[in-house]
Amino acid sequence: MRPAGKGEHDSLYFDYPHFPFVRPAELEGQTLRHRVAIVGAGPVGVTAALELARHGIASVVLDDKATVNDGSRAICLSRHSLEILQQLGVGTPFVEKGLSWTQGRTYFRDREIYRFRMPHSDQERFYPMVNLQQQYIEQFLIDKAAESDLIELRWQSVVTGVNQDEEGVILTVTTPEGDYRLQCDYLLAADGARSVVRKAFDLPLHGEAYEGRYVIADVRLNSNFPTERRAFFHSRAMPDTTILVHKQPDDIWRIDYQLGPDEDPEQAVEEANTRAKVALILNEVLHEGDDWELEWWSLYKAYTLALDDYRHGRVLFIGDSAHLVPIFGVRGLNNGLADAANAGWKLAWVLKGQAPDRLLDSYSPERRGATLDVFANAGKSTRFMTPPSCGYRLMRNAALALAVHNDYASPFADPRQVTPYTYAESPLTQADDAAFDAGPVPGAPLINRRLGDDDFLLDHLGTGFTLLHFSEDGRVESALAEHIEALRARGVDITLLRVARSPAGENTLVDVDGSLFAGYGAAPGTVYLARPDRHVAARWKTLEIHALDAALTLAQGWVLEGEQS
Amino acid sequence: MSNATLPFADLEQVYERLATTLDELPAAEESHFLAQLALALAHRVPDVDQVMAAIEEAREGAFAE
Repeated sequence: MRPAGKGEHDSLYFDYPHFPFVRPAELEGQTLRHRVAIVGAGPVGVTAALELARHGIASVVLDDKATVNDGSRAICLSRHSLEILQQLGVGTPFVEKGLSWTQGRTYFRDREIYRFRMPHSDQERFYPMVNLQQQYIEQFLIDKAAESDLIELRWQSVVTGVNQDEEGVILTVTTPEGDYRLQCDYLLAADGARSVVRKAFDLPLHGEAYEGRYVIADVRLNSNFPTERRAFFHSRAMPDTTILVHKQPDDIWRIDYQLGPDEDPEQAVEEANTRAKVALILNEVLHEGDDWELEWWSLYKAYTLALDDYRHGRVLFIGDSAHLVPIFGVRGLNNGLADAANAGWKLAWVLKGQAPDRLLDSYSPERRGATLDVFANAGKSTRFMTPPSCGYRLMRNAALALAVHNDYASPFADPRQVTPYTYAESPLTQADDAAFDAGPVPGAPLINRRLGDDDFLLDHLGTGFTLLHFSEDGRVESALAEHIEALRARGVDITLLRVARSPAGENTLVDVDGSLFAGYGAAPGTVYLARPDRHVAARWKTLEIHALDAALTLAQGWVLEGEQS
Repeated sequence: MSNATLPFADLEQVYERLATTLDELPAAEESHFLAQLALALAHRVPDVDQVMAAIEEAREGAFAE
């Protein structure tokens, strides 16, 4: 919502683009068959299109709007998400425009009682979190997609029907210039919480709705408070209201405040009421004065809801169409981007003939596993942020009061921010090699390490699988080198990345201070196999070549776990 | 004086159980229940100084304004 007299896209800081309708070939009577259609040009849908394009697969993206999202909405991008964006070649504008941060503060009765710091070091290219309004996130992704010959963006195109059979999926698309049928081999449903695709197949979401609603409001305000997350409990001005504050680019501040159980949400989001609450918070809680402008606001309610299966035949659900999670811990968008990367490479592998269709069966256990992990954390966070009963409120306030002077109670005030999920139980992940005592386990994402001033390990990954080979001087046994060449000749997208302890020849990454070997628990001869989405498929303290073939076969869905000889 | 303490994950479990137990009681019984609980827990702590320190911690929290 925006102040009276302003249009939906009348922003204080963002110029909304207008995307015209372009007549597609289908409306000219041509019969086309698309490999992949994606419904929804939000951050998740366009990320999936970019991931497919990275592997050479074309897609068509449909969206009912003529511009980007109406408000700032999802504003926190995690390091893991930035690493996904870097792989898509679009990381730079996010870092340049976004506000990077590492810490936050919790206040109880207007006193700072706890400071949390997210893990960060100079081994990382990206900060643990970057704040950026969703309009910019979408704009940067769409700009990148527009550069690709493999991505066709179709705006003002409303999907009004979805059918599938064993051959493919057929969409009915309604446009300003008439309806048409769109045929594709596979469909990615990235059409959000109110997914049309999900409803067309009558697929129910299961889970629960939590007590407590929040108004999320953006104001423009000049303030030199650093970029941090602030949470206020039991302030003098609003004792029954939990308040969250985040800084965004362009002097925009996000203020989230809880509504009481007796407050009518419809009344709460009336402009006068929103203004009064925001003014009270800015004056009495943040001590910022009266010089601010209201930009945009919306109502939010916490849910933990998910589909039972994220795959439905030739349709994969990615992002909010598959799962709704509470905002606390910033997991909605970040998990959506991980969905897009996961579904994207797998679909590309199937369409390139590098993997069987059943590779797609691994999408749901991996990403739904991540959702259920989120639910476990989100329940605790939500009960803390928004106590559902007198008992929970009493305990929450007791924990916060003790945390004023006692460190043992401070972890209760920790916001449990998003961390990447480990696909340890996945059918694609090989059991760990017991010889390791450090480093990312199979299923976990690769960790970054600094190689130079502006040079990091993850900058060097290939587009497909990456074999991280550790040695003293960069030399690779000729049998392994020949084997990798043979795999590549068979069309397997695999890149050999050599890490050496001492300066060696070209195409070798030198571990100057030993932190790369240490971070990976590696010795000369150690090998990690990473998937296109940077998650470790297998690792060996000392590699035998036949073991590499077995791991690649498993990671591409050719065999199921237990079928291996 | 013993330094052994409850791991945080267990403390979280206690938090949840106390919240749901408090919700099952009539509101007027809350302080009565919590006072009983304090005595029952103190009985399990073999060091009176620890118990007195805990009382002081809670008293400070109550006056946190």
